[in-house]
Amino acid sequence: MTREDRTLDKRDTMTAEERLRAVINLQVPDRVPASSLNNYFAGSYGGITMRQVWDDPQAFRAALFKCWEDLGPWDFHYPVNVRYPELYSFVMPMKARWPGMNLPDDCIHQLLEEEVLAPEDYGWVTSISRQTPNWSYIRLSKRVASRIWQQVEEGWRGYVYLLPRFLHHLATWAKEFEMWKRKGLAILYSLIIEAPFDYFSLARGLVPFIKDVRSRSEEIVTATDALIDGYVRICRLVAGLLRVPRIEIAVHRSASDFISPQTFRELSFPSLKKLVEKLLLHNITPILHCDGNWDLNLETLRELPAGSAMVQFDGPTDIFLAKRVIGDRVCIMGDVPNHLLCLGSENEVDEYCHRLIEEVGRDGGYVMGAGCEIPPNAKPENVRTMFQSVFKYGYYNK
Amino acid sequence: MSESIASLIAEMEEERTLAQVKEALDAGRDPLSIVEELREGMAVVGKRFEEKEYFLPDLILSAEIFKQAIALIEPHLQAVDTPSRGSIVIGTVQGDIHDIGKNIVATMLRCSGYDVHDLGVDVTPQSFVEKVKETGSGLLALSGLLTLAFDSMKETVQALEKAGLRDRVKVIIGGGPVNETVVGYSGADAYGKDPAEALKLAGIYLG
Repeated sequence: MTREDRTLDKRDTMTAEERLRAVINLQVPDRVPASSLNNYFAGSYGGITMRQVWDDPQAFRAALFKCWEDLGPWDFHYPVNVRYPELYSFVMPMKARWPGMNLPDDCIHQLLEEEVLAPEDYGWVTSISRQTPNWSYIRLSKRVASRIWQQVEEGWRGYVYLLPRFLHHLATWAKEFEMWKRKGLAILYSLIIEAPFDYFSLARGLVPFIKDVRSRSEEIVTATDALIDGYVRICRLVAGLLRVPRIEIAVHRSASDFISPQTFRELSFPSLKKLVEKLLLHNITPILHCDGNWDLNLETLRELPAGSAMVQFDGPTDIFLAKRVIGDRVCIMGDVPNHLLCLGSENEVDEYCHRLIEEVGRDGGYVMGAGCEIPPNAKPENVRTMFQSVFKYGYYNK
Repeated sequence: MSESIASLIAEMEEERTLAQVKEALDAGRDPLSIVEELREGMAVVGKRFEEKEYFLPDLILSAEIFKQAIALIEPHLQAVDTPSRGSIVIGTVQGDIHDIGKNIVATMLRCSGYDVHDLGVDVTPQSFVEKVKETGSGLLALSGLLTLAFDSMKETVQALEKAGLRDRVKVIIGGGPVNETVVGYSGADAYGKDPAEALKLAGIYLG
């Protein structure tokens, strides 16, 4: 396969992988790249059920490929189709309802706001992190999985249940990654984890966690800090196995929709920053997925190491403000809003994408993408317009 | 001199608020005036939230204190009719089971003196219509986190129209992806981007 085979357009002078590395390093690539967080939309567009999105990898690959052919291309494969729902507990430690299990086949999965971890678990996490620092994240996530799924037993039997599924999941992703690499795409990351503070927020439930923040802040700080080595271990393991040296860190509950900027700065950011720094020490690039409104947290994000991470925003954040405040520190991805993709016209999407490219894409350090996941009921023509905008407006040497 | 109940709850002084409420009740103060003062404090919380001095945790914690204070006052209210600011039906629309935002809005509306009929999650358009009919509510609050909720919101508004109720019922919507465009699409009257805006809209439509 020649270098030319791996470019997506005849005007491209970089491969997708080179483009990805350039934007993360805040260099100016040949053009703005596009990324596709495309899971349930691929299912609906490709004519398969939402259940098949997670339980039939072959059907899902075909659906995503149909999207790629009809509406693409895009530069980065953004994988989220965790192969087994039980493993989803390692990504988002929450109970959920799943299509084909406790929802109709054609509904998307939905998370439930319930307490999965108890207040005593902060101390337990600190204790296991001291005993077995490298395995703390896996032990914690296994405990969470056991509390969510009856079939994941407490103790070693739980690992016996999960391990083959985890390996099968990795094999499925490895196969997908190879397919997309052959088409000239870069793989955005090999694993999704939840930031330490946010992990507890999700697993405790929002209201109990807010009370914990008030009454147990020291326990939270100690537990989140203690977990870092365990996070790094699993990230190194999976990044090595799948040969993709990038990890997505989801930060679902640290926006100022959920906590104050002061709480973010004092309780959430310290462990997040430490995790980012430790991953970078192991040559793993962190990609932060920041849901909600981050306008008031942008100054704090400036403390992230320059030119070595990416931050994705999902719509509520003023991405143009973000460019001004942190654009010289981190690469920014986003944020074509869901309502625009679902209800807007092609012209409106085109105008918004053009503005993103001109303002957020100025001087590099930007990736075009939807705000969070492309919604299942997005208009296909709008999705196509979003992806095509980088070829229409995104070349730096016009 | 002791601080007012309103300022204590506005500062989220849980123990001191409850102590002051008990003291006031023991002194034979009119329970309705204590409720009114608690609501004044909650209004201060709402204002500080709008001004970004307070954040969601402050809304939640102050509402928790309010609920505890009301539990202390309730036995003293039995013989008295608590005045209501109006009746509201609320729920997460069909196909969506997310409830955290809806629950917070429902709590804040209750704290502000509205009768709130919470239908829960995954509520069909017909169930909303029936509850509006049954309660005579003048405001319907629809919540949804998924973009798939846009269609359910629209169908609910259409069901209200079909039942001949739309003229006397205002519809407000809220949830992560909801904005002005979704108001136009669904046929609702307005959207609240956070609990404080929902409260403000309730004030506009119901007083």
